[in-house]
Amino acid sequence: MVVSPVLLIAVPLLLAFIAPLCGKAAKYIPPAGALFNLILSVILIPTVLKSPMIVSIGGFPPPFCINLFVGPLGIFFAALISLAGFLISIYALSYIRERAVGKYHTLYLLLLTGATGVVLTGDIFNLFVFYEILCISSYALTAHNAHWHRHGTEAAVKYLIQGSVGSAFILLAIGMLYGFFGTLNMADLAKHIARAHSSVLFIPLTFFIAGFGVEAAIFPLNAWLPDAHSVSPAPISAIFSGIAIEIGVYAIMRVVFTLFGAPLSVMSVLLIVGLLTLLVGEICAFRQNNIKRMSAYSSIGQIGLIVFAFGLATKSGITAGLFQITSHALSKILLFLTIGYMIYSIRMKNYPDKYVTEIEINSLNGLGKKMPLTSLGFAIAAFSLIGFPPFIGFSSKLLIVKAALLKGGIYAVLMGIALIATVIEGAYFLKVVQGIYFRKGEVEGIKENNVFILVPFFILAALIIFAGIYPGILTKILNSSSGELLNRIGYIGRLPG
Amino acid sequence: MIFYIGSFALVLTGLYIAAAKKNLIKIIMGLSLVDTGVNLFLISIGYIKGGTAPIFSNAAIPGKTMVDPVPQAMVLTAIVIGLAVTALALSLVIKAYYHYGTLNVRKIKELKW
Repeated sequence: MVVSPVLLIAVPLLLAFIAPLCGKAAKYIPPAGALFNLILSVILIPTVLKSPMIVSIGGFPPPFCINLFVGPLGIFFAALISLAGFLISIYALSYIRERAVGKYHTLYLLLLTGATGVVLTGDIFNLFVFYEILCISSYALTAHNAHWHRHGTEAAVKYLIQGSVGSAFILLAIGMLYGFFGTLNMADLAKHIARAHSSVLFIPLTFFIAGFGVEAAIFPLNAWLPDAHSVSPAPISAIFSGIAIEIGVYAIMRVVFTLFGAPLSVMSVLLIVGLLTLLVGEICAFRQNNIKRMSAYSSIGQIGLIVFAFGLATKSGITAGLFQITSHALSKILLFLTIGYMIYSIRMKNYPDKYVTEIEINSLNGLGKKMPLTSLGFAIAAFSLIGFPPFIGFSSKLLIVKAALLKGGIYAVLMGIALIATVIEGAYFLKVVQGIYFRKGEVEGIKENNVFILVPFFILAALIIFAGIYPGILTKILNSSSGELLNRIGYIGRLPG
Repeated sequence: MIFYIGSFALVLTGLYIAAAKKNLIKIIMGLSLVDTGVNLFLISIGYIKGGTAPIFSNAAIPGKTMVDPVPQAMVLTAIVIGLAVTALALSLVIKAYYHYGTLNVRKIKELKW
């Protein structure tokens, strides 16, 4: 074995608690930790593609210990999380400089730890614990500006109440599964569930979907998202939209596919829920005046599309869903970071002593000449989210359409409805891009000159275009990831004994 | 059986309080009740009437009379998580009171509830 994947979780966790001791240097710790994770997960990819790694912790053999299951899906998500975490933390080097700076870096690293832990663990209770680390640090990060901006508090309280009810449901479901089968190891549970009668499984499965659905913001459970994503500072909105909600989707899919074997009825429900989420999200986004709220609702829409793709429950559908997760993570992070920089510049010019994280769409008018690189980044992100070629969003949406048509029948009709939502998405994003470039606004004296903020834009934009032109670089890992989700027998078979 | 009924009654009471009450502190008390109910549920899964602690110190105690230690470990973790969430929630409520001067959730709605 080359290096242990345990380090992917242990190093950010350790660094999270070293960060407050470092004083002024604390801000360099999150980029270092995330870069370490990125390099480690990229190194591990070839090994994992050959065969998944299983790491037992505590010296007992599975299923008696907590184990990590590092399959293609886990390592793919770990790489995505650390890539996003790295770029956002570079941006945050100069963006987060007011008040609770040290605490921000601790919470940020804890969020990355929780997210990485959720995707790598092979034990359902351990998954819950990491999920709670992710959620609690998200609640606290939402309230990052609570001291001098009242909306942060309100959004955080809302998020916390809904999130903790969701967590209670997850824990109840875990308790029920343990009561029925006497094990917490996911492979072992899957083995038992495959033999069990489906009537006892209905309630735990519903509770799991409802609980994880809060974090994933699927339709009836998404009330917290627009507030939490719009009031928090730009790096936090970006990590929420790019990583946190995707982890919710991952958890749902891991439970539905690996534990419960994707029963057709549940997949149809997920398909419809995904479609509803997509439509509700895009329609709400269309009527927003606040640019960050609009992007937050657009995240709901994109999550709906991802859940829709997974709901097809075919190999091509899951691959397309994973591709859409990558595409949404990269594009939405770029979108939130560019919006954050625009708002920051406008605020610094107009009201330097007030704390502003949200702004009306009209205030961005005319920025295209003053902040050319940022505006270009925004346009690239928006076009990619709409699905214009040659950006990555085009490839991912094309794959979803292909998967739906391959399944045919009613699925093709539903895909048509999903495409209407894309048209709405195009309408509101193009409106903003047009305003930025072609309308006149009061933006005298605004400049862009911060290299730490501009470098992540370049990297993200380059990745979006590169992966859009050569989608082939992702197909290998995504194919084996979707294989891992569908191949339940293979997952169970990894269990020794 | 009585434990299962009790735990679900606690969960439902907590959910009702969290959904129906307007005072933020009461909502958080409701969430704590939900947590307690879930913890009681987990404990009762592994409970054996008259059982002892699962420690193999005395060979005379048969394994069947020992309670299951795994739910207890889970509950310990869940209690700690619940504590963290409650502490964070209460500190947010302090901030909310500082900003809005009220704990009534119907009045704290500058963002669309």
